[in-house]
Amino acid sequence: MRARICVRVSARHWLAVLLVPLFLFPIVVSAASYTLYIKAGTHTINGAGGATLKVWGFTDNPSAGPMVPGPLLESHEGETVTVTIYNQHTLAHNFVVRGVTTDTASIPAGSSKTYSFTTPKAGTYLFSDTLNSNVNREMGLYGALVVRAAGGVNKAWTGGLSFDLERVWIVSDMDKPRWNDIAGNGGTVSTGTYKPNYFLMNGMGGHDAMHDPNTVLQGAPGKVGLVRIVNAGQFDQSLHFHANHFRIIDDDGLRLSSPEYGDSINVQAGTTAMVLFPLRAGIYPMHVHSANLETANGVYLNGVATLLVGQ
Amino acid sequence: MNRKLLTMNIGTALAGMVLIMAPLTPVAAARLGNATVLNAANGVTINVQSMNKTMSDGKSVLFWVWCAGGGGGGMGGGGMGGGCYPSGPTLELGVGQQLNVSLSVMMAPQENAPYNGHTIHWHGLDVTQSEDGVPETGASVLGDNYKFTVDSRYVGSHMYHCHVHTVKHLEMGMYAPIIVKAVNSAGAFVDVINSGGPTYDYEWNLMYSSVDPAYHSAVGDSTVFADYNPKYFLINGNEGRSTSAPAETVTAAPGKKVAIRLLGVHSVNTSFVIKNASGSSQSFTVHNKDGYKLPSPQTLTSLNLSPGQTADVMVTLPTTAGSWYPQVTFKNLRNGGSYSGGTVYTRLNF
Repeated sequence: MRARICVRVSARHWLAVLLVPLFLFPIVVSAASYTLYIKAGTHTINGAGGATLKVWGFTDNPSAGPMVPGPLLESHEGETVTVTIYNQHTLAHNFVVRGVTTDTASIPAGSSKTYSFTTPKAGTYLFSDTLNSNVNREMGLYGALVVRAAGGVNKAWTGGLSFDLERVWIVSDMDKPRWNDIAGNGGTVSTGTYKPNYFLMNGMGGHDAMHDPNTVLQGAPGKVGLVRIVNAGQFDQSLHFHANHFRIIDDDGLRLSSPEYGDSINVQAGTTAMVLFPLRAGIYPMHVHSANLETANGVYLNGVATLLVGQ
Repeated sequence: MNRKLLTMNIGTALAGMVLIMAPLTPVAAARLGNATVLNAANGVTINVQSMNKTMSDGKSVLFWVWCAGGGGGGMGGGGMGGGCYPSGPTLELGVGQQLNVSLSVMMAPQENAPYNGHTIHWHGLDVTQSEDGVPETGASVLGDNYKFTVDSRYVGSHMYHCHVHTVKHLEMGMYAPIIVKAVNSAGAFVDVINSGGPTYDYEWNLMYSSVDPAYHSAVGDSTVFADYNPKYFLINGNEGRSTSAPAETVTAAPGKKVAIRLLGVHSVNTSFVIKNASGSSQSFTVHNKDGYKLPSPQTLTSLNLSPGQTADVMVTLPTTAGSWYPQVTFKNLRNGGSYSGGTVYTRLNF
C-alpha cells in the first residue's frame, strides 16, 4: 500500500483542510512512503498479436498480481522516500533506484527490506531489480521514480522550464519464447540470445497505449507537455514525435541548459530522458522508429506507440 | 536503374562560379552524388515502382522505390523526373515556398488491406494532421496531394517516406531526403547550413538504410516482423563494403566547404566517422540535428545517428589533393555491437 504524507496547507485553504481527514493534517517534514510486493504472475498484451506473458513484478496491492511496470514512485526534490519491499517470490531480488540508491544486496525469498533515501535532484529515474543478468528486469521488475520540483510548481526542476502537463513513458521489451516462458517456468535463460517480440509502452502494446489517458499526451494546442521517458528494456529505443519538434531538457540526468531540439530521441537501454513537447491541434502519432519495435509479435502499431493530441 | 548523373565537371565549374559570383548573386552550391534533385515547389508527382536489386552476395532483393515525374526542375534534376532508387529522388524546398507534391499509387506495388496503398510522411517537417501522411489519423492511402510551407527553423535535412505499415514499407525502400533551403529576397536558394549559419560550396546527402531481406517478402501481420536481422546496409541505396568499392564516390575542389547531410532511415544504431587515406579520423562540425539548428556547433570525430534522426555536418577539405572516406558502422540495438559487414564506405575525392 502506498501512503503519501506530503501536504502543503496555507491559511487560504483552511476551509479545504477542514474537509480532509484528520490524519492528513500538516506535517513539517515532507516524505513519501511506499510498500511494494514482488510477485510472480502474468501480464497480458491486448490486441492483435498480443499474448499473456509470465512476469515478475512489483505491486503496491498485497492482494493483486504483479504490475508491469511497477507502481509510479513520486517525490519532490530533497524529500525523504522510504520504500519497503516484501519479496513474495521464490527467488532473491533487489531494488535499486539508478543514480540514487547503491544497495544492490539481494532480498532473500520471503524476506523484506526497507530502503530510505533522499531524492537528490528533480528528474526521472529508473528503479529495477539489477540481479540475474538482466533476467529479473526483463521479467518485469522495473518502474519509475519521478522527482518533481519543490513546492509543487510545474517546472521540470526548481528554476527550470515550465510545463503544463506531464506524462511518464516507460518503454521496454520482452522475449516471450526465450526469456519469459523459460524463466517463468523455473528454467535457466540463455542470456546470450535476446530476440524480444514484445515492445511495451507503459506495459501496453500500442493498440492500448494509443487510448490510455495516462499515456496519450493530450491537452489544448499550445500547451507544453513534459514527457519523462524511461527505457527499462534491453534495446535502445529511438522515439519519433510527429507534429512538432520537442526540446530535450534532460539527457539521462544531464540537464541541457541550451535549447536542443529534435523529432527523434534515442533513449538507450537503462537510461532516461526528459523532453518538452508543445501540443499542436490535431491527432498525431509518437512511435519508435525501428522496424520490429513498432509491433507486437509482428503486428504493426501494437508496439511502442501512443498519440499526441492537441484538443 | 534510371539515375540522373551530375557530372563532376559541372560541379567543379559551379564551384568556380561561386567564387566569382558570390558577392553579386547567390549561386547554388554543387550537389554531390547521383541522386535526382527536384524543387518540391515546382509541382512534383511521386509514384512507386518495383525494383529488383542484386546485392553483394548475388541474391536479389525486391524494393519498392519512389520515382518522380512532373515538373521539378531543380538543380541536377532538370525536370526530367526519374530518381527511381532507394533514397531517391531528393526534394528541395525553399523556406516559405509551398511544397506541391502529388503521390500517385496507380500501378504501384502494394500489400492487401488493411495495409494497401501508400502515403508520404514528411518526417521532421512538422506539418498539420491533414498533410502528415498517417493512415491511422486520416491520410488517404489511394493517392494524395500535399501542400504546405515551412519556416526558417527547418533549414536543414529531413526525410519523406511512406507511412503505411511502416514496419514493412519503410524497409522496402520508399524513402528519400527532403532538404529545406534558405532563400533570398528573390526566392532563390541560399546555400547556408541553417538560418544565419555558414555557407558551403558543395552539399552531399548520405541516407542510411538497413535491409532484412525477410521483411521484403513477408506481408501483413507476419511474425517475421517481430525480429529484425539486417543483412545489408546501404548509403544512398548502395552497399559499399570497402574503401575500394564505396557506396558512392564524389569529387569536390580542394580547400572547399562541403555540407554532408546524414539522414537516418535505418532501423538500428549507427556511428559516422570520416577517415583519411591512412585511416585517421577527421573532425567535422555538426550544425543541425533533426533539421534544427544546434545552440552552438559541435566539432566531433564520431557521431551516432539513431533511427529517424538526421544531422547536418560540415567539413573544409584539405588544400592538397587526396581522398577521404566518410563511413557509417551499423550496430545492434541491444549492446551496440557492430554487425558483420556493417560498415558502409563512401569516398570523397578532392
